[in-house]
Amino acid sequence: MPYISQLLGRPIVDVDGVKFGTLRDIFAATRADRTHPEAVALLVRCGSGERIIPVSEAAVLVAQTIPLTKSAAEVSEYRPGEQDIRLERDVLDKQIIDIDGVRVVRVNDLELTRIHGGYYIANVDVSSRGLMRRLLPSGWMRLFPEPIHGKPQSGIISWENVELLAGGQPMRLKVPGKRIADLHPADLAEIISDLSKPESDHLLQTLDASTVADTLEEVEPDFQASLLENMTDDKVADVLEEMAPDEAADLLGELPAERSQELLKLMHREEADGVRRLLTFPEDSAGGLMNTEFFSVPPGLTAGETIARLRRTAHEAETIYYIYATGPDGKLAGVFSLRELVLSDPQQPVSAFMHKRVVSVLLDARQDAIAQAVSKYNLLALPVVDEQGRIQGIVTADDALDKIIPTAWKRKLPRLYH
Amino acid sequence: MRLWMRWKPIRVRLMLLLAVVGPGIITANVDNDAGGITTYSVAGASFGNTLLWMLPLVAVALIIVQEMSARLGVATGKGLADLIRESMGVRATAVIIGIVVVANLANTVSEFAGVAASMEIFGVSKYIAVPLAGIAVWLLIVKANYKVVERVFLIASAIYLAYIASGFMAQPDWGTVAKDFVTPRFPLQLGYVTIFVTAIGTTIAPWMQFYQQASIVDKGIKPSDYAYERIDVVVGSVFAVVVAGFIIIACSSTIHAAGKEIQSAKDAALALEPLAGKYASVLFALGLLNASVFSAAILPLSTAYVVCEAFGWESGVDRSFSQAPIFFGTYTALIVLGAGIILLPIPSLVQAMMASQTLNGVVLPIILIVMLRLINDRRLMGDFVNGRILNIISWFVVIVLIVLTILLIVLGGLEALRNWSPGVFPA
Repeated sequence: MPYISQLLGRPIVDVDGVKFGTLRDIFAATRADRTHPEAVALLVRCGSGERIIPVSEAAVLVAQTIPLTKSAAEVSEYRPGEQDIRLERDVLDKQIIDIDGVRVVRVNDLELTRIHGGYYIANVDVSSRGLMRRLLPSGWMRLFPEPIHGKPQSGIISWENVELLAGGQPMRLKVPGKRIADLHPADLAEIISDLSKPESDHLLQTLDASTVADTLEEVEPDFQASLLENMTDDKVADVLEEMAPDEAADLLGELPAERSQELLKLMHREEADGVRRLLTFPEDSAGGLMNTEFFSVPPGLTAGETIARLRRTAHEAETIYYIYATGPDGKLAGVFSLRELVLSDPQQPVSAFMHKRVVSVLLDARQDAIAQAVSKYNLLALPVVDEQGRIQGIVTADDALDKIIPTAWKRKLPRLYH
Repeated sequence: MRLWMRWKPIRVRLMLLLAVVGPGIITANVDNDAGGITTYSVAGASFGNTLLWMLPLVAVALIIVQEMSARLGVATGKGLADLIRESMGVRATAVIIGIVVVANLANTVSEFAGVAASMEIFGVSKYIAVPLAGIAVWLLIVKANYKVVERVFLIASAIYLAYIASGFMAQPDWGTVAKDFVTPRFPLQLGYVTIFVTAIGTTIAPWMQFYQQASIVDKGIKPSDYAYERIDVVVGSVFAVVVAGFIIIACSSTIHAAGKEIQSAKDAALALEPLAGKYASVLFALGLLNASVFSAAILPLSTAYVVCEAFGWESGVDRSFSQAPIFFGTYTALIVLGAGIILLPIPSLVQAMMASQTLNGVVLPIILIVMLRLINDRRLMGDFVNGRILNIISWFVVIVLIVLTILLIVLGGLEALRNWSPGVFPA
């Protein structure tokens, strides 16, 4: 089917064969209930002026010379609406998000298709072939053999799988952030790191607080801080509440002191208190790395009761694979795994099968000591206790190792020249 | 109002300024690369202080151009190559980016010439120095943290201050220097026109516009902070031109006064003798090496980003080669070609460093026209479009550059004709 680059610039004649103008751009209507926008109007350059006419005025669109069904004087005017985008001005050569490929790509061409008499944007062409088509005179394209029909081609993305970027322009997203929000947070983080500042700001605005929180947890705190720079304090506070307290504390540590105090005030009391406490510890100590949302039970509770309590209350806990037994004074008395819990007799108290010698670290333990303990004992999480042996939080293995092993995100520096 | 209350807004403003400062000053420093140092040195050595009058004008032009590039970055949040592609379509982009790549390659060659020239002072053959520098530069960007590299470079670039000190210690007649600043002279000689275009080309290099705009976008400077970014740009530009002026003065009052010419980098080091005595050549070599190596890393990288940005290929040093083949391909190709060309038997490293700067001067009007077109696009820039007066001055600069290029071609052609005698060729 035709590509928009081939149609643009073609002459348009009226019903009498008199030259009407040349095609400059195509308006397409984006609708929430349609996956592909439909071409609705043509921007035609007539002499020194421009006219916008409905697509229905053209007898055929795909022709060397596009004929109209009326004489020049009778051609009606089209008023572009809110949902209309200009394909040449707003989409061609612009950056888009390829949702399946999880990358930011540039639109080299757009493929139209005809269904029930209407023209729809079928695919976005981001391939080098599309680039060549634009670059070379049309005859030269014969040098590049046409791909075999019906075979999926790389670089051709269905319109359903792309998301337009708003950039600085007041352009509406197709279905605002819908498909984007379904992406894995790590993928979203990768896309955001590929975008320029205004674009990533805009994208984050369209996402809800919990998606933003999940995404931010995938990137480094200093990059997080730069992403939140232009977000309203209310939304940032919402995002912080959604984040794990240790992540939230790391993030607040990166922000200017005045703003982080301001944000703590906006957060819910309970969450803010947890984060405030974490903020008092050095960033790379056990206290700074730990998460205060862990699951603990009294040693006298039976396995069955523990499972029931787990179901009821453990939604917030970062990990439930380890369950800690704490005495009435908050002292760490033992630990058992989810496996041990599930496989034991429901009537048995947890003290019967818990491990009483618990590997733990003090609040001021250094991160490499934590990482060593985690790898030596093959743990998924390590409890952090204070001087009196009271459990304060847990450091999960990923947080402990994250600081030691540079992950892909560790190396993820701002986009240019780094 | 108590004193501290008065102090607070000033402090807030100062903090904002410090947060924003960077791209302009860094770009201005990168500007004084191998080609820059050599061009100003040769200008001072061969023509004395007769080129000083152009510096205030060049400073104004530099500020205008850099300010526009900063404004483009702040207002759109996009790189220059990005904007060119989005507003001008594929064909125009291919032509412009093609020209930029050629000019950047020439500049990379000049940086490696700087490496070769500075290491020659230490007695190291270019056949050892240049390949090593090429590998070092490649690893520097791919393996090291750019931010750290940038800081080291910036601290090392304080060596330029040596020229200011040396300029004073050479004790030129400041009365004549002041007069040279305000006395326009423009002899219609090929040599003079060439050095004129070269000096402009090295001061306002096309690649700097791409580089600075990218740094600004990268830093995410907001339109509301633009006023501070402008200070950054102006300070950086003025600093660059002041350094250029002192290089000319230092060379003029030492090399030119002694009636010598710059044949090799060693001769250029003489300009630092009033300050550093017998260590002048070491100081000069270190400064040139620092500038050359850093720019040799930046230029190929900047080019790779520009190419990928324009055509939508994946880019980023954190990608693997298979993810971003064109990015790493361009980056590596520029280093290999840049270093490789210097390894050919070329007669003069000084000429090699300057030729690329002349090319910069010729390419500059094209980039300026592109920038002017973009910056006057209200859809893109909103209220950040150029004002009338700025447009008039900018177009004036463009026209002057075009006239100079034509003059260069005409004078060059005449020179070639004069040297051409039919007898040379067998009938």
